[in-house]
Amino acid sequence: MRVLVIEDEAKVARALDDGLSREGYEVTLARTGEEGYYLLDSAPFDLVVLDLMLPGRDGVEVLATMRSRDRGIPVLIVTARDSVEDRVIGLDAGADDYLVKPFAFAELLARVRALSRRGRSEAPARLKVSDLEVDASARRVTRGGRTLDLTAREFELLEYLVRNHGRVVSREMLARDVWKETGRATPLDNVIDVHIARLRRKVDDSAEPKLIHTVRGVGFVIGESAS
Amino acid sequence: MRLRPRHVRTRLTLWYVAVLSAVLAVYIASTLLFMRVSLHRQLDEGLRGEFGHLADRLTSGRDGTVSVAGQAENGDPGSLAEVWSPGGELVYRSPRLGSQVLGRPASMTPASGSINNLTLGNGTPLRVLTQPHVIGGRDVVIRVGVSEEYLHHQWRELLTGIAFGLPAAILIAGFAGDWLARRALRPLERMASHAEKLTADNLGERLPVENPDDELGHLARAYNLSLARIEASFAQLRRFTADASHELRTPLTAIRAVGEVALQDRRDADHYRDAIGSMLEEVDRLSHLVGSLLVLSRADTGVALRRQGTGLLDLTRESAALLEILADEKGQRIEVRGDPSVRADVDRLILRQALINLIDNAIKYSPRGGSIGIDVRRDPDGRSVIEVSDEGPGIPETHRSQVFERFYRVDKARSRDEGGAGLGLSIALWAVKAHGGEIEVSSEEGNGSTFRVVLAAETPPDSEARGARETGEAGLERGRTVGKIR
Repeated sequence: MRVLVIEDEAKVARALDDGLSREGYEVTLARTGEEGYYLLDSAPFDLVVLDLMLPGRDGVEVLATMRSRDRGIPVLIVTARDSVEDRVIGLDAGADDYLVKPFAFAELLARVRALSRRGRSEAPARLKVSDLEVDASARRVTRGGRTLDLTAREFELLEYLVRNHGRVVSREMLARDVWKETGRATPLDNVIDVHIARLRRKVDDSAEPKLIHTVRGVGFVIGESAS
Repeated sequence: MRLRPRHVRTRLTLWYVAVLSAVLAVYIASTLLFMRVSLHRQLDEGLRGEFGHLADRLTSGRDGTVSVAGQAENGDPGSLAEVWSPGGELVYRSPRLGSQVLGRPASMTPASGSINNLTLGNGTPLRVLTQPHVIGGRDVVIRVGVSEEYLHHQWRELLTGIAFGLPAAILIAGFAGDWLARRALRPLERMASHAEKLTADNLGERLPVENPDDELGHLARAYNLSLARIEASFAQLRRFTADASHELRTPLTAIRAVGEVALQDRRDADHYRDAIGSMLEEVDRLSHLVGSLLVLSRADTGVALRRQGTGLLDLTRESAALLEILADEKGQRIEVRGDPSVRADVDRLILRQALINLIDNAIKYSPRGGSIGIDVRRDPDGRSVIEVSDEGPGIPETHRSQVFERFYRVDKARSRDEGGAGLGLSIALWAVKAHGGEIEVSSEEGNGSTFRVVLAAETPPDSEARGARETGEAGLERGRTVGKIR
């Protein structure tokens, strides 16, 4: 899986390079719009992560030129501008998804994953982590064969964690995907924390190993160990 | 290209002079006309007198000649007169005429008292009266003339006087007008030069108001008032900037301290992990803060509302349900009651944000085991009201108007974890004002507070036709006029 990252900010570029490489992606870095454009022409990529504010040729331009050649490569835009208008400009120019800085890296990974498996459906109804089993169609959860009594929200939360099994999920991702909350200023962090605490009580209190882990400052992960 | 003087003063003066000249011209012209008519009338009356005087003294000799009785004796210079017989013969010519001739009358039977102009051979202009008369039983026609020279002389003097006097008068009036205009405009110039020198540092200065009741006084007062408003917003902005940098600095300090301390000694991976996690928590706080500030700054420049008819009780229940778990954790009860028929045209997402912030606030400040009441109803004026009451410590009178200010916290000692950044209520107020509504606070110290969101009655149908979109700026403007806060 070859990913082209076009980002001028050195630290961010290096972090993206490191993080994506650790996830098994083959990353190529471009520091300017021109360089990115040149690289796109010279080698095949499966995905582009594009910063909108670039020196020289700006991201929207790169994207528009790319799209005018009708290249079907999925593009994830990353930018510090987050007004609705900016979003619309980006998506109009042909971006497939949009991520606002500062973003949680877990979120970037999730988006990259979603874009790279686009078209392929990957939603098995029965999921399993250790001895925790989630039946999405029957909305039933068992741990070690014992049925857990979850509220609707707790179930959705658990299902989301289990679907992202082994990967850290940030609070923003939960707010957006589980609570369907788009406003960034909505104070949901406490709500999420309380739900996680309750879910953890039901899932982990009377069983070993503990499955729900908090990664401090990042989010939550489900699995037999935190990393 | 039109020629247009640059200064108001010059324009005023020019207008003044032009109007004055026009008025004077009309006045002088009508006066001259009147004088001319009246002078001629006087002359003609004199002429008739002369005729009577002469006719009385004319005598007819036996030989048909006519003479003037007593002319030689009293040194009378005599008239300019001729007497003609009906046959067209000259029977008398006064000596004063000398060699000049009045001439035979055009008709021997002239209408009585006809007067016409005539110029003598030597160029003297005359008014001449021609009238039939009877002397000693004989019909004659008498012609008597008076010179117009004196009248013409007077006329010329008058015109000369006007020709010199009028421009002088207009010139003087022009200078006086210019002086007056300058005097009247001086306060304006003072205002302008004051405004030119205006910077953030001398916003406190005010213009002197000489007479508060005249137009310039009014202008000066208006100017001073707007200065006061600008000064107040500046002060608010300064406070906001100071508070914002404080709020931003606090997590930055924490990040720096945690990072530096972690690097002091060689530690194990878990220790570093913990330090990085702690730093990321602060980063999260920073991101939230910046996010909220962005919401507010965008609110200041105006946001497009996507209004749609919304049941307010449903929206309130939805917002309360989202936060219910927080209340539950504190053993609190949230009770939402009200009239399900209360509807309003609102941007669901934005109004919901306001409600969430208000409810979050109520949960935060109510004690464990307390209850939070939310009431949705329509007030007697047809406005929609959503009332959020908590059982918190209440807001002291002195703080009540300030709780909506950005970063304002009633209890300064309250930690950020408990109290948040102090932007929630600002955002709530903005969201409600964007809808043309207001938030009222009533509170009793020690006995809870009530935040009352009041929205205008459902928009009448005609405004719906304008489209559902409306800029937040317009909304804010309206909010300001009805808002009771600030």
